[in-house]
Amino acid sequence: MGEHWFWWLLTAAVVIWYSTVVIYVAFRGLFDIRNMLEHLGRNQRQDQS
Amino acid sequence: MTHFSWAIDGSIVGLYLLATMIAGVAVRKYVGKVEDFLVAGREMNVYLGIASLAATEFGIVTCMYTAQNGYKYGFAGATPGLLNAAAMFIVGYTGFCIKPLRDSGVVTIPELLEKRFGSFVRWLAGVVIVLGGLLNMGVFLRVGGEFLVVTCGLNPGNLEITMTVLLVGVATYTIMGGMLSVLITDFLQFVVMSIGLIAVTILVLVEVGWDRLVGAVTEKIGPGGFNPIINQDLGWDFILFNLLLNTAVVLTWQTCIARVLAAKDTKTGRQVYTRTSFFFVCRFLIPGIWGIAALATLTPAMLAGLSPAMQENSSLYAMPLFLSTLVPVGLMGLLVAAMLAADMSTDSSYMLTWGGVIYNDIMAPFRKGWSEKKGLLWNRFIVAAIGIFLLFFGLWYKLEGDLWTYLTLTGTIYLASISTLLIACCYWKRANNWGAVAAIVISATIPLGFLVLEKVDGATAKAIGPYASGIAAYLLSGAAMVIGSLLKPRRD
Repeated sequence: MGEHWFWWLLTAAVVIWYSTVVIYVAFRGLFDIRNMLEHLGRNQRQDQS
Repeated sequence: MTHFSWAIDGSIVGLYLLATMIAGVAVRKYVGKVEDFLVAGREMNVYLGIASLAATEFGIVTCMYTAQNGYKYGFAGATPGLLNAAAMFIVGYTGFCIKPLRDSGVVTIPELLEKRFGSFVRWLAGVVIVLGGLLNMGVFLRVGGEFLVVTCGLNPGNLEITMTVLLVGVATYTIMGGMLSVLITDFLQFVVMSIGLIAVTILVLVEVGWDRLVGAVTEKIGPGGFNPIINQDLGWDFILFNLLLNTAVVLTWQTCIARVLAAKDTKTGRQVYTRTSFFFVCRFLIPGIWGIAALATLTPAMLAGLSPAMQENSSLYAMPLFLSTLVPVGLMGLLVAAMLAADMSTDSSYMLTWGGVIYNDIMAPFRKGWSEKKGLLWNRFIVAAIGIFLLFFGLWYKLEGDLWTYLTLTGTIYLASISTLLIACCYWKRANNWGAVAAIVISATIPLGFLVLEKVDGATAKAIGPYASGIAAYLLSGAAMVIGSLLKPRRD
């Protein structure tokens, strides 16, 4: 780490944060997509009727 | 010698492209209205928003300029990422400007500006937004194609074909599904892109090693490679310019603000900002480390392997050259798929959001009484026209200086004025159309003048410097808004 601890810590934070967030967002994002398409489909059917 | 294997890596890339196209085209049936096409019916939730914003704001072009920053300026080159993250977090947390913007229910920023400054300002704002945006994204395609040529070891003569194929694929699903296709493909692209970025970064850190990265920066750049303030090429003007620029980006960059406007409500839009903010540190630091690794490992003989045209700007191509020698077969396929994912998500979103401004604001005076069907048809035509523009602009424009500097200057054409107008519109009662027009004219003139000066008198342009001209655009744009507004007589 040495005298450039700031950049070392930031690099470690980036790798750890990004690795964690991508798994979480990938999981939760799927539910968002499903809900979004359900709402849009419902709205479309309401517009047509 | 590249490690790209057409059988293994090519199959991974082909599979990814097929999945993206199917996903992008499949959702076209949900697009029935212009609002569905431009803002996905305002049904976007937080995590899809995070994936989409992150994927859009990381393209091959981003990877190239941030790696170039790492190669030339060391760790200090990642400073804009820190400023961007701080600005996005603060704006998301406080709701500064984005809350009144999303609450107003508009589709674009100029639409909000019309409510305060009148229809001419809406139209003029639309023109400068499109001018700055299209000039900005004009270089995306070529830079993306060049990355693939160097990394995969393709014949440079195939650059145009690579660019065209990439663009046609992206344009197809964007034209069909608009923002909905963009969101769905962005999600897929976020996952593929992130896995590739993380895997390659870990490989770089393991193979090259932290000590060697730090040693290369210390030896070849010096203390300025760790501290932007004491770096001779950066300094306070670089930091101030990037602070102004990144704040304006967060407030008004069309692709960022499109996520706030597509969010299902204001709270969701703000959460997308706060929770994505740290990604902007990753966006600069990850490719920055790849650039530093190129600095640490590439020899002059290896750089001589680049084509003569690329050798003129070797700092830009050092990173892909380095990756072509480091990344093994298999992982190379993942890297190329990740970079394609990054590029496709960026291109699609940029084409759509700037196309949205053309339709919603520049064409506003001419489209009264149009049916939804006709509106959709025009939106699709505009996206296709932007794609054709990108292809031709990318072929003939020759980049001068840093890629990052070019992008910041072209962005400033509208960022300085529209951020000033947005702040004044939301928080200053005395602001009026005189000030708004003056701010737009000043903001567009300074960076455009600098770009022309670079072409006709490079020495003078270098003496002024891009950061000073950029800072001037922001400060003078703000001053023009204040002076212009105060000069207009009040109606009592």
